[in-house]
Amino acid sequence: MSLTQHMSLTQSLGRKSENPSDHLPVAPANAVDENAGVRLTKKAIEMAKQALVKRATPEAALRLGVRGGGCSGVSYAIEFSDKVRERDNLYDFDGLKVVVDPKSLVYLRGAVLDYEVKLMQHGFRFLNPNEKSGCGCGESFTV
Amino acid sequence: MSLLHIHDPLAAPRPIGIDLGTTNSLVAYVPLLGEATTLLDCDNDPLLPSVVCYRADGATVVGKEAKRLAQDFPQDTIVSVKRFMGRGADDPETKRLGPYRFATSDGPVVKFAVAGDRVVNPIEVSAEILRALKQKAEDELGELGGAVITVPAYFDDAQRQATKDAGRLAGLEVLRLLNEPTAAALAYGLGTKQNGTFAVYDLGGGTFDVTILVLDEGVFQVRSTGGDSQLGGDDMDRALAERFVRAMGFSQGAELPAGHVRIALDAARAVKHALTEQDVVDAEIEVPGSQPLLQRVTRDELDVLIKPLVERTGVACRRALRDAGLSAKDLDGVILVGGSTRVPLVRRYVAELFGREPLTSIDPDQVVAIGAAIQADLLAGQGKNDAVLLLDVLPLSLGIEAMGGVVEKILPRNTAIPASAAQVFTTYADNQTGFVLHVVQGEREMAEACRSLARFTLKGIPPMPAGMARLSVRFDVDADGILKVSAQEETTGIKQEVEVKPSYGLGDAEIERMLLDAYDHADNDVSLRALRQEQVEAERIILATVSAVASDAALLAAGEREAIDAALQALKQAAQGKDHRRIHDLIDQLDRICKPFAGRRMDRSIARALSGRSLHDVERETSHARGIEPHLRPGAES
Repeated sequence: MSLTQHMSLTQSLGRKSENPSDHLPVAPANAVDENAGVRLTKKAIEMAKQALVKRATPEAALRLGVRGGGCSGVSYAIEFSDKVRERDNLYDFDGLKVVVDPKSLVYLRGAVLDYEVKLMQHGFRFLNPNEKSGCGCGESFTV
Repeated sequence: MSLLHIHDPLAAPRPIGIDLGTTNSLVAYVPLLGEATTLLDCDNDPLLPSVVCYRADGATVVGKEAKRLAQDFPQDTIVSVKRFMGRGADDPETKRLGPYRFATSDGPVVKFAVAGDRVVNPIEVSAEILRALKQKAEDELGELGGAVITVPAYFDDAQRQATKDAGRLAGLEVLRLLNEPTAAALAYGLGTKQNGTFAVYDLGGGTFDVTILVLDEGVFQVRSTGGDSQLGGDDMDRALAERFVRAMGFSQGAELPAGHVRIALDAARAVKHALTEQDVVDAEIEVPGSQPLLQRVTRDELDVLIKPLVERTGVACRRALRDAGLSAKDLDGVILVGGSTRVPLVRRYVAELFGREPLTSIDPDQVVAIGAAIQADLLAGQGKNDAVLLLDVLPLSLGIEAMGGVVEKILPRNTAIPASAAQVFTTYADNQTGFVLHVVQGEREMAEACRSLARFTLKGIPPMPAGMARLSVRFDVDADGILKVSAQEETTGIKQEVEVKPSYGLGDAEIERMLLDAYDHADNDVSLRALRQEQVEAERIILATVSAVASDAALLAAGEREAIDAALQALKQAAQGKDHRRIHDLIDQLDRICKPFAGRRMDRSIARALSGRSLHDVERETSHARGIEPHLRPGAES
């Protein structure tokens, strides 16, 4: 069954002061090979820093990883991390500490973490070249 | 596409709010930063259909998948289980509510026989829905810190208890049950005001509810409720689908293939949704075995079809206002709840009906869950604004049955809860060693016209003259509207612990056991108790009748002895059996047959009393003569 729309009421909702360059990946200061590590967009860095400040732990790190479970295969996890473990990969994005454990890095190699503001919600989103199929909710994927 | 949020492993467990709806259920939470929000599924949809399908292989499927399975397995797929909550198996409404196989049990709880040789009751079905929501919340939020579950304002004690039991069975810590309209008002932040009067208009998929809510010094009270349990968006779909079915070439009243009906209903729903935003929709409907059907539907055409349905809500609204002693101009706001309030005609109608624009800024599907989340957040002590102390009121009076079947109200309706009250009763007959307490709910004066919540017996009172015993009956209603009754005989200091529960609800201990062996014992206990009560009653009435016939045979009319003997024989036989209903019926029958005879005996007793006998003797004799059970009467000091 299909519906033809005679009148489209969807108006493009002008996003206020959204700068496209905010969503380009930024390489970490302790530069690694572009495709070897994880990158964040400017917007994601800014929002993560804000969240750390609001949590009153600006020195803590942001931990990116994957976990088993979710609708399809493994799912993404973003956490505050108060300590860096021995074998963690540590990145510095403009003062924001980001850690990824070695096992998760296998899935996140070359991935970019962005922050999106949509009409109904806002939050982080991974753009991951390793993702073969997502579940549609952006939370889990298969490689 | 749902977006990710940063999880804080050090954060406290997060409380959630659950809207356990008839058609759909939702879960929401208040993030550390930001506004309360519902949790979405993989399709970016906050609604979990309240449908549970039991598969032959023992698997249990909940939500959208279950809804799809409902077409092929209608008897194993329980939809709208909320309509069964707290309902007795012998409730005439029960059997009308679906195509299910009701398991035969003489317990008071409805049970469904489903695939995989399983028998489930409404509490267990609801628990499956809650479990799915809990899983969704845990996936996203990690550890959960308790839940607030919403219930309709008109839910009685048994239905509330059943909902709470379902929550516990699902492994949730139920912080509180919250009235749905109160939750909607909280979502709009109305709880932060001090005073106000609001109407909550809730038109869902299959039910319509209207509630007049009064906020008095920061306390929400349900002033009146009304609605139609068989009216909702599904009826609108049916009205439109009928037109499509006729366009498919089926005449009115013709036998339709189920597949065509489903296609027409799905098309109708999609067109209805599209007409919320558009004035005209062209639908292309795939019809199996023929050309696709092209249908153009304008919003005006839809409005004509659904107008009679929408107008039915007006009747309930006006009645609710009248019951509350208010008129539309007294309202400070009207809140829209339920997906069907998106329909433009409904919004216009509500605005016209109440003479003001309704509040619509929060998604009407999500507003109740959001309010529940806000309340959960407050209760867990994380709220930004802990000034709101939320109370509800009793929807109906609670009392016990006293002598002669009249109700002594102990907690009147509209009492703010939590609440407790006690009243003193005394014995009716000399040497009465036990009390039968019958706890009822309702506004009627006679207990038989009220809803029976519980019956229990207090025994072991030493023999003493009538009127000397002092029985203190105490009612405690907790913040969830759940009742506990305790009774104590004061003069002797005999303290008997008595456990009371709503008729179809279950106590703590039983919940535990239920987790282990799925209720069966609890049901047996309840039915066994009903049987014992009837057997005792039968025994007493048999003895009283035999002794009355023996001592006053002269008063029997012609043929009366034969009729009484026959009824006695039937009752004696039934009392050996296990069918408590049959015993009950036969007691009634014997009672009816004996009535003229008992009347003559009483007349003679009174005549004797006039010839100089003590009132006590007469009273005792007359009560025995009528074969009635010495009951309670309110103490003079109460």
